Amino acid sequence: MLHQGDAALDIKASPVPQRPATPAIALMQRMLDGIHRIVVAAASLALVAAAVVLSESVLVRYFYRSSNDWQDETSVMLLVGAIFMSAAYVQSVRGHVAIEAVAELLSPATDWWRVLFADGVSLGFCLFFAWKAWTLTHEAWVDGQEMASTLASPLWIPYSLMAAGMSLLGLQIAVQILAAVFDRPAR
Amino acid sequence: MNVLSIGLLYGGATIAVMFAGIPIAFALGTVAIIFMFFFMPHASLDTVTQNVYEEMASITLLSIPLFILKGAAIGRSRAGADLYSALHVWLYRIPGGLGIANVFACGLFAAMAGSSPATCSAIGSAGIPEMRKRGYSPGFAAGIIAAGGTLGILLPPSITMILYAVASEQSLGRLFLSGITPGLLLVSLFALYATLRYRTERRSAVRDFAAHGRTSSLLSEERYTLREKFAYAPRVLPFVLLLTGVMIALYGGYATPSETAGLGALLALFLIALIYFVWKPTDLQPILAATLRESTMLMMIIGMSLLYSYVMSYLHISQSAAETIVAAGFSRWVLLAMILVFVVVLGFFLPPVSIILMTAPIILPPLKAAGFDLIWFGIVMTIVMELGLIHPPVGLNIFVIRNIAPDIPLGEVIWGIMPFVGLMIFAVVLLCLVPQIATWLPDVIMGPR
Repeated sequence: MLHQGDAALDIKASPVPQRPATPAIALMQRMLDGIHRIVVAAASLALVAAAVVLSESVLVRYFYRSSNDWQDETSVMLLVGAIFMSAAYVQSVRGHVAIEAVAELLSPATDWWRVLFADGVSLGFCLFFAWKAWTLTHEAWVDGQEMASTLASPLWIPYSLMAAGMSLLGLQIAVQILAAVFDRPAR
Repeated sequence: MNVLSIGLLYGGATIAVMFAGIPIAFALGTVAIIFMFFFMPHASLDTVTQNVYEEMASITLLSIPLFILKGAAIGRSRAGADLYSALHVWLYRIPGGLGIANVFACGLFAAMAGSSPATCSAIGSAGIPEMRKRGYSPGFAAGIIAAGGTLGILLPPSITMILYAVASEQSLGRLFLSGITPGLLLVSLFALYATLRYRTERRSAVRDFAAHGRTSSLLSEERYTLREKFAYAPRVLPFVLLLTGVMIALYGGYATPSETAGLGALLALFLIALIYFVWKPTDLQPILAATLRESTMLMMIIGMSLLYSYVMSYLHISQSAAETIVAAGFSRWVLLAMILVFVVVLGFFLPPVSIILMTAPIILPPLKAAGFDLIWFGIVMTIVMELGLIHPPVGLNIFVIRNIAPDIPLGEVIWGIMPFVGLMIFAVVLLCLVPQIATWLPDVIMGPR
């Protein structure tokens, strides 16, 4: 009933979505796939970098008896960035968990409408969130907002990653909706 | 509109959007934003993203992707199979030793990887064929692995517990420690059942042989030399050292939980490179991509669940629901039973992450008012949510078993799992009767609260 992913397994109740058949949409998806590959590579590096930074924190504290707080702040930025930027890639493989109990009870035609509704609502949410995140980024940039720590990193950095990630996610869902509409099998 | 009406509408809208198949993260976010628009000052909509960021930018919560990375690195290597083989050659002489080896391997692997399905897959892919080859009934073999896998969310480091600690504002270190003895209790119960069930199956095989001359693999004897017994040590020991090292770093005060996650992830990557030669970018890419998939999915749910809870709190829905439950005047055990049944039912549809974050503001205040220790309840709740991993209709571990051994009929898998469900319910009852099972270890190590 659940779409459930697991890092060590790749368990998925739902199959990976088919590639779009309509040439223009297929081209859009290919372009998005290219972006996803770059984003996943960068986010993977961010993930490992966060692990390195946190490990360094332990070693520095143990060997030099000095405490820094830049490590936590840096890790937060790396991980928040990795997570929001990867959201579109996860959507491209339908990896966001959903309750699929109703799908089993519906006819394929009705289920097509359900999926379209679910994607439409998701798109609306992501666009709203992206809009507010861009506004927040702009405010943080203009006001020179900083994190409340000794490192005082500019807040526009994580906010912009959040905004860019949600925008990309919205774009991915939009392409999936277009694919569903234009590639719908004739009844 | 009064709070009750808003609360009912909030719950109804949540159920409607979730069952429409909208991904849980977006469904929770959508409901929260709609209710902010209609029932909260419009300025609150401008702070939606800031709220989500501030909730998510917690270094404790952000340790989750690193724990997942550690689990993925170990889970995708041959560490699980090697661990299982090593335990098997040492335990084969005990009746049901193979089953016990599987249970122990699940417990150890769960503690290293921190993921129930990963444990099921890593140990089960080696353990189920081996047990069936040695004459264990398919359902029994499947049951051992499915149940053993659930230990992943009870033994530290458990992602479920990290979330519970955040939601209940309890000490994560104390919570991790509280899971160890109940985890060992479950390992012992599972191992005891494996021995008894093995004896029953062996007796039946002996009778069958006497009556019809049909031989069974259960009746065959096996021997391992000392050399064979030590052959696996170089592969397994480093991971066991990693497990102990990480625990020492955490409880020795050398590292915070998030630093432990970072250190554990880095060491796991180092070990799989050293032992299994998994170091090339092409080898690491699937591990990192899979980590990103699970982390992003989970963290998006967490972020939006926290926004959902914030709205619920702002509109006084959670406070009113909690007050209503307290005012109902249920006896403490009836209250606990009702809440646990509620958690079980939610577990049919929702992952533990959402259950904890969505229900904590409602169920924890009444439990606290009734005098329950919230650390203890975290352990009980975790075991109950573990049940959801092996209990129909969802039972994620059942899907994993079906992946590993598709030829075992679903009915047989479920019947094989049921005795373990009974044992887990027994463990919950035992924990209710003797709460010290969970609380004594943190009290000894960290001092009484």
